[in-house]
Amino acid sequence: MAEVKPPDSRRCSYFFLYDGSKVRGEGDPTRDGICYFYPEETPLDKQDLLCGQLAGVGRCVSELSSSAVRTLRLRRCKFAIRMKEDLFWALGCSMEVPTVSVRELLDHLIDLFCFYNGSVRQSYQLNSKESLAAEWARCLAHVLSGPSELHCIFQSVRTVDLTNVDPLLLLKAALILQACQRCPLVLAGCVLFRGRVVSTQMPPQLTTKVMVHESDTYSKTQRSSGASTPSADGGPVSSTAVFLTPSELQFLQAAPVDKTSRSRFTPEKDASPKKTRLSRTLSDTPSLESESSRPTSCQSPEKAPFSPSMSGSEDSVFSPAPSQSAAGSPYPSPLSPVRLFSNGGNSYETVEGALDESHYHSFYSSEDGVSQIHSEGDGSAFEENLCLNGGASGGGATCGTTPEPRGADCGGDPLRDDTTAAGDVGVCSRKAEGHKAEMRQPPPGSCAFDSLEESPLIPMTLYTHRVNSLVLALLVEPCFMSDTASMEEVNHSSLASLNGLEAHLRAVSSAAPGAAGPYLFAHYDYIQSTLTTNVSGRPGGAPEHPFVRATSLLHSHFFDTETLQEAIIRSAGTAVYGTRSVAQETYFQQHGASMRNSGIPNQQDSAFSLPSKARHRLLKHGVNLL
Amino acid sequence: MKCLLIASESAEVLFHWSDREYRLSIQEKYGASQEEGQGLPAFEDILSTLFAPIIISCSTLEDSYTSFTTENNHIYVLHQFDECLYIAVNGDGEEKEDDLRRKLYVLRKMIEVMFGMVTLSGNLLRRELRPQDTEQRTRLWTYLQGLLDTYSVLRENDQSFLVEAVERLIHPQLCELCIEFLERRLVQQLNSSVERAGEEVLHAFVLVHTKLLAFYSSRNASILTPSDLLALIVMAQNMYPSHIELDDTSPEDVESTSGSGPESFYTPEPSPSSRGSSGSEKAGRGETPVFEFVDPEIQMAEDSLHTLEINPPDSASPRRVFLEVSHKDGLYPMIPHSMYCLSLWPGITLVLLTKIPTSSVAMSVYKYLEDFDKLEKRLHEGHGGPASARSPLNMQDIRTKMDKFIKALGPSDLQSAQLQKVWTEFKNRAFAKGGPGFSKELIPWCKNMKTQLCGVYRQCFLIDSVSADVSQRLSSGLQERAQTMVREKLMDWKDFLLVKSKRNITMVSYLEDFPGLVHFICVDRSTGQMIAPSLSITERTTSELGKGPVANYIKNKVWALVRTTRRYLQKGYSTVTLRDGDFYFCYFLWFENETGYKLQPVDIPVLPDDSPPIGMLACDYYKRLLRYYSKNHKGETVKCYELLTVHLGVIPTEIILQHCRQLASKLWEPSRNLLL
Repeated sequence: MAEVKPPDSRRCSYFFLYDGSKVRGEGDPTRDGICYFYPEETPLDKQDLLCGQLAGVGRCVSELSSSAVRTLRLRRCKFAIRMKEDLFWALGCSMEVPTVSVRELLDHLIDLFCFYNGSVRQSYQLNSKESLAAEWARCLAHVLSGPSELHCIFQSVRTVDLTNVDPLLLLKAALILQACQRCPLVLAGCVLFRGRVVSTQMPPQLTTKVMVHESDTYSKTQRSSGASTPSADGGPVSSTAVFLTPSELQFLQAAPVDKTSRSRFTPEKDASPKKTRLSRTLSDTPSLESESSRPTSCQSPEKAPFSPSMSGSEDSVFSPAPSQSAAGSPYPSPLSPVRLFSNGGNSYETVEGALDESHYHSFYSSEDGVSQIHSEGDGSAFEENLCLNGGASGGGATCGTTPEPRGADCGGDPLRDDTTAAGDVGVCSRKAEGHKAEMRQPPPGSCAFDSLEESPLIPMTLYTHRVNSLVLALLVEPCFMSDTASMEEVNHSSLASLNGLEAHLRAVSSAAPGAAGPYLFAHYDYIQSTLTTNVSGRPGGAPEHPFVRATSLLHSHFFDTETLQEAIIRSAGTAVYGTRSVAQETYFQQHGASMRNSGIPNQQDSAFSLPSKARHRLLKHGVNLL
Repeated sequence: MKCLLIASESAEVLFHWSDREYRLSIQEKYGASQEEGQGLPAFEDILSTLFAPIIISCSTLEDSYTSFTTENNHIYVLHQFDECLYIAVNGDGEEKEDDLRRKLYVLRKMIEVMFGMVTLSGNLLRRELRPQDTEQRTRLWTYLQGLLDTYSVLRENDQSFLVEAVERLIHPQLCELCIEFLERRLVQQLNSSVERAGEEVLHAFVLVHTKLLAFYSSRNASILTPSDLLALIVMAQNMYPSHIELDDTSPEDVESTSGSGPESFYTPEPSPSSRGSSGSEKAGRGETPVFEFVDPEIQMAEDSLHTLEINPPDSASPRRVFLEVSHKDGLYPMIPHSMYCLSLWPGITLVLLTKIPTSSVAMSVYKYLEDFDKLEKRLHEGHGGPASARSPLNMQDIRTKMDKFIKALGPSDLQSAQLQKVWTEFKNRAFAKGGPGFSKELIPWCKNMKTQLCGVYRQCFLIDSVSADVSQRLSSGLQERAQTMVREKLMDWKDFLLVKSKRNITMVSYLEDFPGLVHFICVDRSTGQMIAPSLSITERTTSELGKGPVANYIKNKVWALVRTTRRYLQKGYSTVTLRDGDFYFCYFLWFENETGYKLQPVDIPVLPDDSPPIGMLACDYYKRLLRYYSKNHKGETVKCYELLTVHLGVIPTEIILQHCRQLASKLWEPSRNLLL
């Protein structure tokens, strides 16, 4: 992974976990209850004071109000608080970070810890304080590792620069994931390149968690439950135990992966191939199967897409045993929620075409397929389709897919809920949250509080396959690691493609990023949790500070006021424009605006032309404010 | 679910205010933790028990708490004023954090107006706020609770208290007539009467509900600050509340129900001190143990017992208020005045502010307090003595003046005798040859001198005002005459005024020139005055916005807008425009010189979250802003204006900005009356 810096003291002043159950009697020293304290070099007396006082006051206030304390502010520091039974977490940040963001940071931090260690209580029973302290430190470093202060305000998934990457490569990555998903033991996965997401099938919060492991792979210590296994062809494959919350699992299982196709022996054949632009584009490829397409379940949701009776098809290409299908395996899982990252503006178009094409292209997940696609380079067609694919989370609803029961080898699926089609939920929860305006509901699959609730965490395994800077990370059933056949299948189906993808991405990413314009902007996509910005956060970025400060204020305001759509705020030297919709928030500041205005209302004031400037300028960053 | 309390560092409740829901919930919580069958202790004791961990933790932590929020959206705001911790709680979502902080500061302001420089001594204030006598305590707390209630009602319903600026009745002719009458007839007659007992009327004004009809200040009076004026309006409203539900009844109805005489009338009483307790608290508060001082010698003089007898509430007795006075040699805060609040008719009140004969003592006390404070600071910094710093203290000069001052006070008074004793000790240590001189050892003596000075002040202006016989005030006959004179003068206008106060200016007059404009507020911060179309939402009235949900919605939006813009102003943004739902909101703050020339904007200071609330009532933010701005405009009178507008969202932004510009330039023009 790129930079994992030690937590920036500007952003985080304190973090601690205090276990009140260790300090029951009068004589018990406070420090017995301190499970972890950051900064670790803080004098013990000070640690005692802060932990003791904050936890004590927190308990007193929560008793007075019959409700847990959520934030606690001192004059120079604000704390997000989590209280669970006797456990007391506090994350202290500087006053400039919006309160809502501090709370999100803390939630994220705890979730991250639980993802890799299981429930907090239990992990402290099983492991030493010291080793878990290292875990907390690791999580903290990741949570606060964003390159600029904006990353503290917006919890975001970092993606490859989409304006630079050939959309075909993104599609390629998506196809690799779909290919892997054909193995019934694979829940979902993501492809990462240099610590940035290329493609993911998981909700953003889960993707972020998975990325932490990836970034640690090199220096990874062997965890008790996870062991590195050298893969057959020498590529470093590793795995680690992780824990999903029930809602995360539910989300992954509810995703409209075509499980029927995974349950082996269901090659499909359809008499009415659907021709699309894309298939035309690729129809010149020498593949024999280019014409054979499969109906997507969204076209016929009421019936199972492939009936087992068709498995008797004489089509020789479809080999019944997945273990035999190596490269070029034609089992697509067309409806898996592949998330390609695009800027939200143009990602809401019809989905069907993309779905067709994506499964179509899974035919080409072999190496020569890649080169084909690459040499074709029909970027325009693909760009659109990719966006569609990216919007699959939002558009999944149109398909009305009901998830198929999972294979028997993975056990029952009691949590599955037919009504929660993946993307559907993603959008709706955002809306619901807007109306409630009480507390931002985490999107499904993240469920910040799950890890603290009684619902037990479900152990899973995170499987990663690294090819130089490229990593394929898959969430798999724990039994996957012992199932050599499945492992081999996944490995074989992805390895060649990974190599090809890596080579291309490496070539692409060497391109220098375009010079920043005479403006600053930040664009946050709620649904994909992506932040697009030209704020560098480089040291000496002092001119950027007023923008970050204004953004922070406006973000809090947007959060508090559900009906607020846009705002312009202006001091003598800075004018910042902010706008938001259901799906996104955008901030814009123009450099060097003349400040002749005297503060009185004036149409000529450059501040009031910011909305049109923003619309105009941001188009080239893929931000559509129309 | 609202609560506010003041606690000492030892978790003693010095004052509390809460609504019924909060009381019930707290009692329930307390009851649950207690044995059955026992009666509940006093509410203040329950509060003290339950809040003790917070209060004690506050003094333990070096960086003090400013707020808590809980999962169920309860908000706690804390602020330490000197030695008292103020805590405000809201559990019903009706108040936000800044509302609560504002409430704390407003309460602090009210306490300053009521107790003056006694607030500078934590020990004295503690005893003043929590009299030992329960009956007295109840009376004081009831009065303060009433003030808070009145303030809360005004802040929630009155635009002038929303933006914290005084609203004038817009009727120039009547206004002029009235001022002339106050000047030529009323004040002149009062000040030339022998029955005024040495008091001198400085300010006289007529309030119609909360709006100012006429204000007159005599020539030798200093300016009454907007902050003080707003506080006095709260007090007047508390004495003669304008019942919102009665507002729209016909005047005849009101007259028949004019029983709203003076409410429970309280004057603070002294309380006997107990040697033991105050001594031990001093020890607990000692900043550094080295200088801990537990000498019984520094005890305050016992208050003479006769002051404990409470005078029956007397409608003619004035209320002692402590207001800021700008004198030729500087600003003097908290100088005693007497306030006479005379009801003319329900809703219309005449207020007289008089200077009391002994007010020069207060100025001297303030000067000495300042001197000892400076000295103490320097000794703390370890700069050696009074002479070292930039503006050396002339201790010899202070010594001479202090000697004279004490002599003038006369030894008859127990409190002055005490002051003399401490002063003699101080002199022995500071000036004697071979004594410790000006060293850190003098710090406790500085503190003690300050306490004694506050004690003298309290004796002169809080206790004596109660115990002194009735003659030391405008005689009741004189007050009645004043009342009758003004009543006669305004008789014909009475009904008009009562209606006018509800419909001061109306949006109707603006609709033609500003289509799409829904509401606006314009404030002149240099004078602390505001104009806004009326926005009264009551059951029986129908504003131009109609009544019911829409009008209420807009009112809530305006209230929220003011809160929002203050937040941005606090962070240095003086222009804000918002598109919110179907409306477009604008806020502008700008500076002009006297001739109306628009001045260049400057970067407004960015303040921390827990800084005093932006407004004029509790802490005059705009005064400081103007002072800050004037630094670069020496020799020029700088004026500061604010404009808030609400437009329909469908109006193009250019038109909205054009409207704002026109409003900004028209509203304060001399010709503005044509528009109104």
